[in-house]
Amino acid sequence: MTLNKQEFLISSGLRVQTLEFWLEQRWLIPTEAASGTQFSDADVARAHLIRDLKSDLGVNDEGIDVILHLIDQLHGVRQAFALVRAAFDGDSRKV
Amino acid sequence: MAKNPYDVLGVSSSASAAEIQKAYRKLAKKLHPDLNPGDKAAEEKFKEAAGAYDLLGDADKRKRFDNGEIDATAAERPQHHFYRDYADAGDQHAYTSGAGFADFMDSEGAFADLLRRGQRARANRRGEDLHYRLPIEFVESISGATKRITLPDGGTLEVKIPPGLVDGQVLRLKGKGAPGAGKGGSGDALIEVEVMPDRRFTRDGDNILLEVPISLTEAVLGGQIRVPTPTGDVTMAVPKGSNTGTTLRLRGKGAPRRGGSAGDELVKLTIVLPKSPDPELEAFVENWAKGKEFDPREGTL
Repeated sequence: MTLNKQEFLISSGLRVQTLEFWLEQRWLIPTEAASGTQFSDADVARAHLIRDLKSDLGVNDEGIDVILHLIDQLHGVRQAFALVRAAFDGDSRKV
Repeated sequence: MAKNPYDVLGVSSSASAAEIQKAYRKLAKKLHPDLNPGDKAAEEKFKEAAGAYDLLGDADKRKRFDNGEIDATAAERPQHHFYRDYADAGDQHAYTSGAGFADFMDSEGAFADLLRRGQRARANRRGEDLHYRLPIEFVESISGATKRITLPDGGTLEVKIPPGLVDGQVLRLKGKGAPGAGKGGSGDALIEVEVMPDRRFTRDGDNILLEVPISLTEAVLGGQIRVPTPTGDVTMAVPKGSNTGTTLRLRGKGAPRRGGSAGDELVKLTIVLPKSPDPELEAFVENWAKGKEFDPREGTL
């Protein structure tokens, strides 16, 4: 499921300026297709996370940068870890 | 029965708005599922806390809850997917970073090899194949055509229908699917072509079948008639003494085959009498039939 910019704004409830800022900060990196910007389900969920951090947890913009950077590394490590687990379990298809 | 939201947040029922927000933030920082990607239990606890905060963090809702107008079930948040559900799905996206273990990959040995291979596989993932359905006219399936599909995102895709295509055939447009990552390349567009039925033609393998009505005169005396083919009308000779069911063959007017040849069009004749009774014809046939014995049902019934 992908959304275009308009649909994404509606589904996320973000204001245009807010989205522009987030894109500028590269907090969100949607796919640029010939037909325009495409937001995936992962982008929608990530926007939700940023909003939780900002409004519910009171994190400021500097903090968002740091948190996203660490979360992205954490998921990189988790994927590498999953790979190692697959190798250990002898499941060579996933390696 | 949902828990009392004051208990969930660990505050007294006389707590100030600031105290409630502080209590919730403290819990959420610990419990937010995206800050605990591997902890399945965190999600339930976070939802409970978030629901309680939705209720008590809103002065109006809190008042109604305190007055007993709404109960704690109003504190249940609608379901949504957390980012970790996607980040962990193993799909490539722009975000996941290998910076947290890049130094491990620089070393020698099986472990570093494994990480490097995984990194490459993820970085060069091929895009997904996308599936479409395309209805076309029967005639287009025989002669070929160029069609345009409008994609859900408003873009278009040009599809060349090869001559002789059959119903249900799937065309593959290389690289017209979803974009891949890195050097993985795009996926393909797979287009299932549905050939709409035609009121004149039907298809049998490479041959095309067609029923054509002829008059009694044409049946008895023969003649030239015009017959439709998918590539336009042609003139066909009806031999003398043709009957209902007589099938004539138009060579090469069927569906094209690979290699340049083509099937045939098989024209099945049906004799049709004039619409209104014709006294002249009746008198003639009566006269003609005298003394002749012909039983078309002989040996069949």
